Amino acid sequence: MANLRFDDVTKTFQDGTETVLAVDELNMAIDDGDFLVIVGPSGCGKTTTLRMVAGLETITDGEIYLDGNPMSGKKPQDRNIAMVFQSYALYPHMTVRENMRFGLEQSTDLPDEEIGERVENIGEMLGIPELLDRKPGDLSGGQQQRVALGRAIIRDPEVFLLDEPLSNLDAKLRAEMRTELQRLQTELDTTTIYVTHDQTEAMTMGDRIAILNDGELQQIGTPLECYYEPENQFVAGFIGEPSMNFVQCRRDGETLHADSFDYLLSADTAAHLGSTSEVTMGIRPEDIEVVPDATEPNDIPVEVDVVEPFGKENNLYLIPEARESDETIIAIVEGRTRVGAGDHAAMRIPEEHVHLFDGDSGEALRNAIVDEADLSPVVERSADT
Amino acid sequence: MQLTALLQATTNAFERLAVWRDQMNRKHAVATALAVVLGVAFLSPLWGGLTTAFKTGSGFVTTTPLTPPTPGIFTLQPWGEAWATIGPSLGNSLMFTVPAMLLSAVLGSIAAYGLTMVDWRGQVAVMTLFIAAIFLPKQGLLLPLSRFWTAVDLAGLLESIGYFGLPFAHPKHTTIIQLIVTHACFGISICTLLFRGYYLTIDDDILEAARIDGASIFSIYRNIILPLSYPMFMVVFIFQFTQIYNEFLYALILVGGSNPDTGAPVTLALAELNSGFSQNWNGQMAGAFVTAIPTLIVYLLFGEQFAKGVEY
Repeated sequence: MANLRFDDVTKTFQDGTETVLAVDELNMAIDDGDFLVIVGPSGCGKTTTLRMVAGLETITDGEIYLDGNPMSGKKPQDRNIAMVFQSYALYPHMTVRENMRFGLEQSTDLPDEEIGERVENIGEMLGIPELLDRKPGDLSGGQQQRVALGRAIIRDPEVFLLDEPLSNLDAKLRAEMRTELQRLQTELDTTTIYVTHDQTEAMTMGDRIAILNDGELQQIGTPLECYYEPENQFVAGFIGEPSMNFVQCRRDGETLHADSFDYLLSADTAAHLGSTSEVTMGIRPEDIEVVPDATEPNDIPVEVDVVEPFGKENNLYLIPEARESDETIIAIVEGRTRVGAGDHAAMRIPEEHVHLFDGDSGEALRNAIVDEADLSPVVERSADT
Repeated sequence: MQLTALLQATTNAFERLAVWRDQMNRKHAVATALAVVLGVAFLSPLWGGLTTAFKTGSGFVTTTPLTPPTPGIFTLQPWGEAWATIGPSLGNSLMFTVPAMLLSAVLGSIAAYGLTMVDWRGQVAVMTLFIAAIFLPKQGLLLPLSRFWTAVDLAGLLESIGYFGLPFAHPKHTTIIQLIVTHACFGISICTLLFRGYYLTIDDDILEAARIDGASIFSIYRNIILPLSYPMFMVVFIFQFTQIYNEFLYALILVGGSNPDTGAPVTLALAELNSGFSQNWNGQMAGAFVTAIPTLIVYLLFGEQFAKGVEY
């Protein structure tokens, strides 16, 4: 078991005469047995980060420590890590059994019987004992995925590295494997880094998530921290589906002037803004209330542009009516609400749910208030858990 | 109203279908005709050669080449004659063709692996050299080649290691070894290019997975790349066998004559069959077929893979 520490890790690539910065001074630590998900848009440096841990990519500057030992200069096979590739990278000419054996044969002196025994055990564990003598080409995507996992697990590594392992599966299988991977990780209790661009996987699987953009770490924290207390506008927009609504505002004292509406802040909230005059207001779709008529000061009359029914809820695309503007706000209302395109209503933005970001830097100035006392318990817990 | 529209739409669909079918039929007819014409064009010389090989000398003169041999002019004598000239050289040909084929394929595959899947500085320059070697004109190499083998005293070398004391040793083995080395060397460049093209299609992730699994560069070649190269080896074997077996110029320079005891291959023996004052067409045709037999066998053995193409 091991912990990992990234110390000012930087990676640049040489593209002709141009130097491309892939990872920029990354600092983070992963505790022993933790499941860290690195998430970000494509090209953000997440796969490069993983490959540096694996030793498949050199570190340009900085250092990665495994249990306090520097990793740079060590060959992949000397790092005691195992990796699952997006393409699975199974050896096509070997049977499942041989695929799993290969790593142990190459890197250990274990006797044949012991290797054989381990293969059987892992086969049982992953529910594929009947597939051991088949070749990868005869297996379905989900089965190949299990074999790739088995090949990593069997080596009993200090760290698992998973590079978008579920992206080639269909939606139903992906959801199943997501749960299974979590179960396996809890069972094995091995430090795991999981790279994905899918924020659902990030939210549901990780103990913590690290959000990367343009090679820079934006935030690292538990999924709920990243969701409710994003450190900047990028994180706020990246986590959550549909994305948080952002409205550019010019601030005048306690009033925010957007293109399509004005919003009056309380003095307490306005105090968070200091002297900032350009502010981006963020509000999650599920926090917007849609009411029949504008009755309160901050209520904004809107026209419903599009309704996307999902059954359990409806996504409404709302256009504020007061001023001419192309701003659209997405709101989620309950599925059994009667609403149609072209309806006239009003949206209410509760101030406690408003996020405010610096208009220039995107840095969070004030996040929504989540009060521990407001969380409704499903199960009563004792104070110490 | 709607019914009429539906009817109209259906009729239109049927009409389009009929036009399409006509077009398909026309395409089909053209393709068949072309296949027949080309087939006849390609097969007629072969057929003519085969009939000639079974005719007596006078039979050949009195009939057209495409007429099958009638009982009056049928004979097996040209085959016997051809075998007598070519048969002894057949062994020589196989003795250098098979080792040279294996050597060039294996070395080409290793070179391609090193040039494609292992990162090191200057590999592009080396690959360029390999590719340039493919285009060297053969005629320009003949003189340096013969000078090279004069400078390298292979016979003396074999003598000094006591090779000729071995029970199976024969003086002609000097020439055979010269031919093996020559053909293997000249074959490596094209083999490397063929393997390289194939290795570029192999997923890099597989190699990286093997590296993480703890395999060394050589172990990756032996356990992963070599087994995956099987279909490409079949292709290269056919190609190299045909090239080396049918080669004439190097053999002519290195062997010099058609005497099988000096290591002359079939190509030189076949040429011997063609020389002389009178042209014995039937003997030559029979000789050509005898010469072609090993190549045919190789195609039969590896041809399925060759036609299927390369896929791992």
